[in-house]
Amino acid sequence: MAPVEVRDLSKRFGSVLAVNNLSFDIEAGRVTGFLGPNGAGKSTTLRALLGLVRPTTGTATFGGLRYEELERPSEQVGAVLEDASFHPGRTARNHLRVLAVIGDHPFERVDAVLEDVGLTEAADRRAGGFSMGMKQRLGIAAALLGDPEVLILDEPTNGLDPPGIAWMRGVVREQASRGRAVLISSHLLAEVAQSVDDVVVIARGELRGQGTLEAVLGGDEGLSTLVRAQDNDRLVRALRAAGHTVQSLGDGLLVPGVSPEQVGVVAGDAGIYLVHLAAQARSLEQAFFALTGEPTT
Amino acid sequence: MTLLLRGELLKLRTTRTFVALVGAALALSLLVVVLSTLLSDEFAPGDAATLFTADFTGLFIMLLGVIGMAGEWRHHTITGTILAAPDRLRLMAAKMLAYAAAGVLLSLIVTVTIMLVGTIILSSRGFDTVAFSDLLDILWRNLLVAALLGALGVGVGALIRNQIVAIIGVLIFGFVIEPALFSLVPDVGRYGPTAGAPSGIIDVNPFGESDDEDVLLAPGLAVLVMLGWIAVFFAAAGVRLRSRDLV
Repeated sequence: MAPVEVRDLSKRFGSVLAVNNLSFDIEAGRVTGFLGPNGAGKSTTLRALLGLVRPTTGTATFGGLRYEELERPSEQVGAVLEDASFHPGRTARNHLRVLAVIGDHPFERVDAVLEDVGLTEAADRRAGGFSMGMKQRLGIAAALLGDPEVLILDEPTNGLDPPGIAWMRGVVREQASRGRAVLISSHLLAEVAQSVDDVVVIARGELRGQGTLEAVLGGDEGLSTLVRAQDNDRLVRALRAAGHTVQSLGDGLLVPGVSPEQVGVVAGDAGIYLVHLAAQARSLEQAFFALTGEPTT
Repeated sequence: MTLLLRGELLKLRTTRTFVALVGAALALSLLVVVLSTLLSDEFAPGDAATLFTADFTGLFIMLLGVIGMAGEWRHHTITGTILAAPDRLRLMAAKMLAYAAAGVLLSLIVTVTIMLVGTIILSSRGFDTVAFSDLLDILWRNLLVAALLGALGVGVGALIRNQIVAIIGVLIFGFVIEPALFSLVPDVGRYGPTAGAPSGIIDVNPFGESDDEDVLLAPGLAVLVMLGWIAVFFAAAGVRLRSRDLV
């Protein structure tokens, strides 16, 4: 049984279907990127997983148990959500001490996680005066307090500076190396591509791809063709009729997974004059956009 | 439940709000007792006993309960709180118990202090002081009222999540609506949650003459009425809290 299992999960808010029949697993010892554009349903899925949102249908479980059924949740799941906040008048140390008491963890763990996230010197400062980066670090410290089997991070790089992003990458890789399952959501592929092993890609609440990063999005060596015709609209129709995917890219067209020769044959057969034809390595972003239907320009 | 209760008590102790409200309750209660004992020319033991019910803990602990619960939404800490304690009803019950316990502690400090200071002043001015057994009687009633109002404050804060609206609502209800109701329709007003039933427990009518005390509920019935109010708020807030998606 996978540490995290999402099965046929749907969530409807009034007339809006935020998540539609979503199923995926997260494996131990791996970092899984949960990717999709803003509004794709990532946060809703994570909140359903954490028992904060009630699924309309389907289940989201940890080792077969819903979050609210976990005996000692902080030892099984650590989570940092996008809107994680702290009482502004409480110090970082006291915030963690409250969580330590509720989770039945010794106060020594508080000092340990404060050191792990580099907040020892700021431990007795009130959280209301913390920068965004310090709040993210405090959130991570809270999530790590119970040394959980599963770590869930919702858009963890938001508001972080480059050193902060690098630090975050180190944290997730270190957790995975210790056998923890890490699920990290982001709408920015570039910020997580270097740290994830697997990806789950969603858009408009639906699963668009799941597997290793290479299997789902391909490498940066993936072949594509960049083409521009006198009549781009006719060429799009011809390429689509030939079974190819076409994306708009500037004033030209990107045809993923197809060589320039193949594109030239389609154009020649349709009697379309080309003004530019070149091979182009497909980037991760372009593959991501192709999956999610986001514009590439 | 024990861990949750300890966690909530630690939360209470680690913000300045609690210290500020303890100070305010103590200062206000002392001010009333000191001025009354110093400025009055006549003081019967019965007057002194009534004065020692001037423990403002009830009001402040109720406001603290409102702030403690509604503040979870105001400061966006409710998500983290529920992640730590996923059973939302247990969480609310623990908060109610924590604020009830805090009310007892706060009232103990305030009541004992005003009793000591008041007795010293009365004694120095040559007035009769209140018998020790009567002081004990006042003390347990004050503690009980503070505990019940602390729990009720959490219920109000859980139901009315806008902290400012909840605080203003409690103040208007406690200082305007309930006194008016008590004066105009005492048969209804004596069941009120912020003044009517608590006055029954203390057995002192704060709105009328001393011979009006028979309009108050009997202490035992007043406790049951207060528990009923707490149960109503717990149930209503619990239904809302359990069914709410935290997005």
